[in-house]
Amino acid sequence: MTRGGLLILTIGLSFVIGSPILRAHHSEAAEYDATKPVKVTGTLSKVEWANPHVWFYVDVTEGGKVTTWGFSTQPPGALMRRGVTKDALKIGAVVNVEGIRARDGSNNGSMRRMTFADGTQVLTPAESAR
Amino acid sequence: MKKQWISSAAFTIALAMTIGYTTQAQDTGPRLPDGKPDFSGIYTQPATVNATGPRGNLIFNADKMAPVKPGAESLLYHPRTGDTRLDEPRAMCLPSGFPSGMLYILPIQIVQNPKYVVIIPELQRAARIIPTDGRPHREGIEPTYYGDSVGKWDGDTLVIDSVNFKPWILDDYHYTDPTKSRWHTDALHTTERLKRAGNKLQYQITIDDPKIFTRPFSQDFELTLRPDWDKMGLLEYVCEENNRCAGGNCRDSAAK
Repeated sequence: MTRGGLLILTIGLSFVIGSPILRAHHSEAAEYDATKPVKVTGTLSKVEWANPHVWFYVDVTEGGKVTTWGFSTQPPGALMRRGVTKDALKIGAVVNVEGIRARDGSNNGSMRRMTFADGTQVLTPAESAR
Repeated sequence: MKKQWISSAAFTIALAMTIGYTTQAQDTGPRLPDGKPDFSGIYTQPATVNATGPRGNLIFNADKMAPVKPGAESLLYHPRTGDTRLDEPRAMCLPSGFPSGMLYILPIQIVQNPKYVVIIPELQRAARIIPTDGRPHREGIEPTYYGDSVGKWDGDTLVIDSVNFKPWILDDYHYTDPTKSRWHTDALHTTERLKRAGNKLQYQITIDDPKIFTRPFSQDFELTLRPDWDKMGLLEYVCEENNRCAGGNCRDSAAK
């Protein structure tokens, strides 16, 4: 395990059934697979403040290799009216992200929770954001 | 005699207080020069009054729907097909349509003049331009996702009548149940009733789809006026800009 990042990827139905976080959300069945949770820690490398959903990217380093994960969250309008702007997502910040994986198996997912190193969460779970 | 006088005075005071309270509770907000209520402003998403169930604020509650006609269950609920355009159309940036497009987490702006009321959900920025000058529904127009709407005033209540819908998803039910989606037919006829009460806009939708339901049914929603959102205004919403994983296949980002 390196200092730069930690990747924990767990795939399994039993985990999902027991997860109150995932069960609290809609299906998103067309794009994401609720039976495939993903949890990564890394550095924020890019933010796309665009519709239909904001995307942010996290560089995860493991064994000297960097893998970039992309996560979708709420639409810009929904975040901005809660006072969350693009400035809240500082490039280089260390973040922990929990979500569910894209159906095509790529390194993309739908965010369920994003936590900065100090424990703050500016992007609350994206309930009803599809 | 004295007792009677006291009781009568108490009744009068109570009545006056009730009238005063009612007048205050029914504050209908500003008005246009023609005397009609002016609903102009930016509002929160509609929230279901007495919501129940998952995603309760943003879909119709099944327990408040009219009974489904025998054999019509399959018109209301469509099993998931694997074709995202049908199962979850908005995921492909297809229109939400009405009423689905009104029931989402983004704000709604109303712009109004004596001839039109324009309702603009930020979601997909699909403006509903509703004439209020007494004209009838248009004829010879192909059915559409948002239908053909005309409005009229019933006192301080705006009544919007909509017909000529393309069969489409009724609401976001499919986000609560991955096995099916909920639809209306081309027989859909909706009646919306909007009335200001203080900083709230009371909003009732009546669904009449005689191919599916035994009778019309209504559900009540409430929008909250947010003058503090005027400065930001409605934001642009170009769904195609960065819909990266449409249909379940993620592509490279298109956002610049």
